[in-house]
Amino acid sequence: MSARGLTWLLVFVAALLVPALGSRFYTFLANDVIIWALLATSLNLLVGYTGLVSFGHAAYFGVGAYVTGILMKKLAVPFVLAWPAAGLFGAAFALAFGFFCVRLTRIYFAMLTLAFAQIVWAICFKWNELTGGEQGMPEIPYPDFGWLERVGAAVPLLSWRTAEYFYFLTVALVAASLWALHRIVTSPFGRMLTTIRENAERAEFIGVNVRRYELAAFVLAGAFAGLAGGLFGIFNRGVFPDFAYWTKSSEVLIMTLLGGMGTFLGPSIGALVLILLNQQIVSYTEYWPLVLGTVLVVLLFGFPGGIAGAVGVLAGRLFRWARSA
Amino acid sequence: MLHVLTMLLAALLALPLVAEAQKPIKVGMPMPLSGPPALFGDPATKGAQMFVDEINAKGGVLGRKLELLVRDSKADANEAVRVARELILKENVDFLVGTLTSAEGPAVSVVAKENKIVFIAPIPKTDQLTAADKLHPYVFRVAATTTMEGRSAAEIVARWPVTRVATISFDYAYGQDVTRAFVEHLKKIKPTVEIVDQEWPKLGEQDYNPFINAQMAKKPEAIFSSIWGGFFVTYSKQAKALGVFDAIRYNFIGVGEAATPETTKSMGADYPVGIWGNSYDAFYWGETPAHRDYTARLSKYLKDEYPSSWAIQGYIGMQFLTEAIKKAGSTDSDKVSKALLGLTVDTPVGALTIREKDHQANRGQLYGKTVKDAKYPFAIMKPVTYVDPSKFMD
Repeated sequence: MSARGLTWLLVFVAALLVPALGSRFYTFLANDVIIWALLATSLNLLVGYTGLVSFGHAAYFGVGAYVTGILMKKLAVPFVLAWPAAGLFGAAFALAFGFFCVRLTRIYFAMLTLAFAQIVWAICFKWNELTGGEQGMPEIPYPDFGWLERVGAAVPLLSWRTAEYFYFLTVALVAASLWALHRIVTSPFGRMLTTIRENAERAEFIGVNVRRYELAAFVLAGAFAGLAGGLFGIFNRGVFPDFAYWTKSSEVLIMTLLGGMGTFLGPSIGALVLILLNQQIVSYTEYWPLVLGTVLVVLLFGFPGGIAGAVGVLAGRLFRWARSA
Repeated sequence: MLHVLTMLLAALLALPLVAEAQKPIKVGMPMPLSGPPALFGDPATKGAQMFVDEINAKGGVLGRKLELLVRDSKADANEAVRVARELILKENVDFLVGTLTSAEGPAVSVVAKENKIVFIAPIPKTDQLTAADKLHPYVFRVAATTTMEGRSAAEIVARWPVTRVATISFDYAYGQDVTRAFVEHLKKIKPTVEIVDQEWPKLGEQDYNPFINAQMAKKPEAIFSSIWGGFFVTYSKQAKALGVFDAIRYNFIGVGEAATPETTKSMGADYPVGIWGNSYDAFYWGETPAHRDYTARLSKYLKDEYPSSWAIQGYIGMQFLTEAIKKAGSTDSDKVSKALLGLTVDTPVGALTIREKDHQANRGQLYGKTVKDAKYPFAIMKPVTYVDPSKFMD
């Protein structure tokens, strides 16, 4: 097994062991981080790999959350169908919006993604009958862990609460999604996205249909954002119009920048750091945005590659220093 | 020697028990502390804190002190859920008392249900919070409901010599529910009434001129409004400029606490004196010795000559919780929840009872016609009447 594969396995096992620490709060935090990690990584497919800065990524997250929520709560559809549906709807919305967005470049592209996201938010906010309007849709049921819980109850070490079973499920599903995303970015398709990012004109000259590739990336990113939303609605015990609001879009963009958009794991690290920082600093001071702003400025000027980039640079220096010594 | 050892061992074993008994009883309070709704949220937390300080000075409850943990819910359902879960999982609070908007209340209720923690809502009014399909053993409300508020207003309007009535409310849960309750009850008790116009500006609207003009074109004789808090200030200034209040001869009733001392104080001479309004409390009410005593203590606590009318909701919420803990003799949520059913508490506004049927307290509100009073530099309700909602509760 390669070193990279081993790291992945270690992270996966470590994540699975969190509930064994015995604190429901740590499990809650870890669950939050893992879902946001998937959302941030899906955005990185656009921002980091294709060079398309989307300000409206929360739209697909919100769509996914509402789709899974409505299917499970109002129509009693089982999770095995309701969750993939979140991905499908995320992709469908991304296809519809992306069709127009990829026709524009740079700032115009960013503004249009933001505009579409605000439309989604407004629909969630106003359509009382379907979405519950500004009161949101509380009480999304957990997936049915019937047989697992029955087996678990019989085995002393495996008798977890429903929230913990959902955590294990999240870890497994997010790990599978991240693996799929990793396959995508390392595939020839993914390499072509990077080519477009580096030089779209040249890619066009060698006969690549740039718009079609960008649209494909947009749809894939929307699909995985939808999947993250589907999980988050259940985890959050309710779906609210806020999920699609622009502040959520900016939050996930900050995670991606903070962690480092040049690397695959960067956005996940960004999600972890941002959520932990938020937790810790809010307990001490109300000036959390000030602290976050300062951290971002330092990172952007000092380490444009984000945390993952900074760690890479430091590790490289250490390695060279060790070899020369 | 052996005896000494046994005693030592016993003492060591007992130590954690003593520590347990002295650990404070933690109460989590998600409440809007930023933005315009903080004008109500902040005083509500102060009222709760005053109650906690007073009870702790007397030795606490069951020999344990109360500890209030306040968190900003930003008047947002999602944020309220988040801080409520954090209070439960991270701070290990024993109970929740809080939330303000009609979106926050039902959302936090779900969290309380799942974590089996008693949750007392002191301000949200939406009927949905304690509706039969949403009710669970752990949710209780000491606020008025949209049904109670709408029907109380209808009783007052029914006495006016008018038949052409119009309404203006924000287009969201609270506005829709309270207006529906008002219209249905008014038509029932005075069938000759005709609803000539209904305007629905969006929540937080800044420009009411189009709505006011459209409404006045229908020539109403009376207007019902549920535009609340700081938004009422904006609305009534624009309505006054367009001559609305004179045109309907001040046959105007503003629910959503349009006649609180805070609102009349902040508007000063701009307040449309002569309209009807309501409030949870008014420092000048002074009906009973208990209320006068409460107002004096609050005035001192807040260092404010005219203390806020919102503090009382935090105070009463904490009072019910504390009495229930005493009655249950335990901080176990299942026992406290049972103790709350049918519990009657002597609050500063009189005896209130939480009904077993829907976990709803018969919390009425003060209603009155606003007048100028030489004693105060702002309008007050006079005479001010506490409308007991018991007869309007389904």
